[in-house]
Amino acid sequence: MDARLRRVNKEITDCKNDKSSNIKIDLIDESPFHLKGSFPGPQDTPYEGGHFEVDIVIPESYPFQPVKMKFITKVYHPNVSSASGAICLDILKDAWSPVLTLKSTLISLQSLLCSPEPNDPQDAEVAKHFTTSKRSFEETARYWTQIYAGGPGGIAKSGKSPEAVRDDVAIAGLEKAHVDQFEAIGFERGKVIDVLRRLNYRGANVANISEDRVVEELLK
Amino acid sequence: MSSDYEYSDDDIDYSDEDDEMMDTQEDGSASSDDDMDMDAFNEDFKVPSKAMRKTYEIEYDTLTQTAVEKAMAADIEHISGIFGVDASVASLLLRYLSWNKERLIEKYMDNASAVSISAGISPPSRSSVSSSAAPIRSHSSSTGGRSSGGLRRPTRQTPGKSRSPTPASVYPDAPSAAPKPEPFVCPICFDDSQTSFLSLSCDHQFCAGCWGAYLTSKIREEGEHSIRCMAEGCAIVAPDPFVRSALADDIPTWERFQELVVRHFVASNPSLKYCPYPSCTHTVSCPVAAHKSALTTIVPIVSCGASGTHKFCFGCPIEADHRPVICSVAKMWLKKCRDDSETANWIKSNTKECSQCQSTIEKNGGCNHMTCKKCKHEFCWVCMGPWSEHGTAWYSCNRYDEKTGVDARDAQSKSRASLERYLHYYNRWANHEQSAKLSIELYSKTEKKMEEMQVTSDLTWIEVQFMKKAVDEVEKCRTTLKWTYAMAYYLEKGNEKELFEDNQRDLERAVEDLSELLESQIDTEIISTLRQKVTDKTVYVQKRNEIMLEDTAKGFLDGRWSWNVSVEGFD
Repeated sequence: MDARLRRVNKEITDCKNDKSSNIKIDLIDESPFHLKGSFPGPQDTPYEGGHFEVDIVIPESYPFQPVKMKFITKVYHPNVSSASGAICLDILKDAWSPVLTLKSTLISLQSLLCSPEPNDPQDAEVAKHFTTSKRSFEETARYWTQIYAGGPGGIAKSGKSPEAVRDDVAIAGLEKAHVDQFEAIGFERGKVIDVLRRLNYRGANVANISEDRVVEELLK
Repeated sequence: MSSDYEYSDDDIDYSDEDDEMMDTQEDGSASSDDDMDMDAFNEDFKVPSKAMRKTYEIEYDTLTQTAVEKAMAADIEHISGIFGVDASVASLLLRYLSWNKERLIEKYMDNASAVSISAGISPPSRSSVSSSAAPIRSHSSSTGGRSSGGLRRPTRQTPGKSRSPTPASVYPDAPSAAPKPEPFVCPICFDDSQTSFLSLSCDHQFCAGCWGAYLTSKIREEGEHSIRCMAEGCAIVAPDPFVRSALADDIPTWERFQELVVRHFVASNPSLKYCPYPSCTHTVSCPVAAHKSALTTIVPIVSCGASGTHKFCFGCPIEADHRPVICSVAKMWLKKCRDDSETANWIKSNTKECSQCQSTIEKNGGCNHMTCKKCKHEFCWVCMGPWSEHGTAWYSCNRYDEKTGVDARDAQSKSRASLERYLHYYNRWANHEQSAKLSIELYSKTEKKMEEMQVTSDLTWIEVQFMKKAVDEVEKCRTTLKWTYAMAYYLEKGNEKELFEDNQRDLERAVEDLSELLESQIDTEIISTLRQKVTDKTVYVQKRNEIMLEDTAKGFLDGRWSWNVSVEGFD
């Protein structure tokens, strides 16, 4: 049997048999080389209560080259792209060792959620949000967990929510008052959210950005 | 300028010991006491002394792949001798410090165990055992002929690192050796049918198959020359003998690995460079051009031993031969040409400047009554004089000599001076390049004719070779001429530049004369006189070219040239 297949099969079985870790690995289709991993958000973090799914692609030269992983579930985290789910983690790149397994890598992802590394960001905007105001960042991350990862108080399953308007502002990690303020001048709401997010119009940073600067960006 | 240049062939090995401690091999050997070693090494690098080296020619030597490997082996041997460590360990140490022997010696003497740990030779936990990088070979007898190199069998043998091993590990076959946990399953492939396990000095065991696949992947896909243990976070690097045996009979990958190590050796050494020609394996050693500072005084054009046509510049990648001009100026010129030439040509042929405000104006149709968009000045496109003097005539610009028109054209030409100046040099530069190509084409035609003549007349093969020689010379001189224009463009006006341009003119004239001769009709009657003329002219051209190159090279050494722009490396 192909060594790669044997190893992957064993890894999947091991994971199934291990009830303690809460890590799950499932097949997406027939191929054992394209998998879906999932794990619960770690406790005492904004991701607590969420259920995070990861797309796993096993390369040809696995386990001698690292496995390819990205988040399927949208995650608000400095080291995860908020758009694509791409992950910035050393063991997925040059620090990979053939001894690492799918399970241990997923556990590493889980612990990455516990300890964001904003100095080596995958998503610069999220990282800026994190460094500007950790409290506000956590609020947003918690909100994303609610709506995308089925976290507590979640509205993900309630379909179209009447609060859709409020959602956008919270998803962007902004203050409703700020958005309303610029919307009142006559700019389109979507654009205001976009610009304020890009400028990192949050927390203490608000004092550093003049209204003129915001309007200037809005007019671009 | 740089003192590097003055060393004669004989004293180059010992010359800059004092001022350039960081320098390459030569210094290291000089400061060491290992004479035998050093001599063998220098033999490889020594430039065969030529009786008369021209100023514009530089000292260099060309090395075959084998010679480079030998030089590398000499370095390894040297370090292995000084530190009393195994060759494979010395090689890892050298690779870790990019083959800088001086730094390695200094650091190793300072703290051997720390260096061994960072170089991935001994595991951190054993750091207390100092000067221990070597002893792999002390176990070679016990590993059953699998000599030096840290290849370990799963028999719980000692990591060769420690000189104070436990009794059990000194005698791996002794009954007290720790028994292998049964059954041992490789943590990578989970294949319990595997029987052969290997580990590095860190004792992280994996099956031979996984090691092979891992090393192959690292060598083939990542081009690694220092490959770490597979265990997570383990920094131990696999020594060469281990790599060799773990790759088993995958000889191509092992060869690739050796090539990667040699490439690292060459890339780390500033006085060595690979020949850039496709699939050429030769290396050129040019210690005089190893320092960037030397490139302001010399133009290190070298050619590798594989073929005389493998000519390249040791100092920059821009063009095979850009003598007489130095790298930084040549680079500046090429950049300017890429950026400006077409634009400048277009501006020159399609626009004029407003005679009042000097804005560049393109005439996009219509009559000759121009009104400058910027300053509203009205003028005639043809004579450039003010439109008011044209009266109400629709168009009758017969006023060429009118003073105002002349003045206006003067003003325009002044504003165009710099553009014109650039185009002057550029056109000549481009022309020589083009002509060199054409003369080669011409030669291929002439060659046929010569062959015919050989058949029809009583000329011998050797007698018709004069054309080939002449064409080669013309091409060579045109390359020189081409670059003299790049140089002249940046030269500050003055006596020196005038002398430079005199030489340039003489060479150019000689080359054009020869070119013309080469294009003349060839028939049997005049062939002997033609041959005489061409041969004479070729010799003359050759001489002029030499004068040009020689004088310019001397000028660089004497610091005679000054530039009209700021040039890298000049104050």
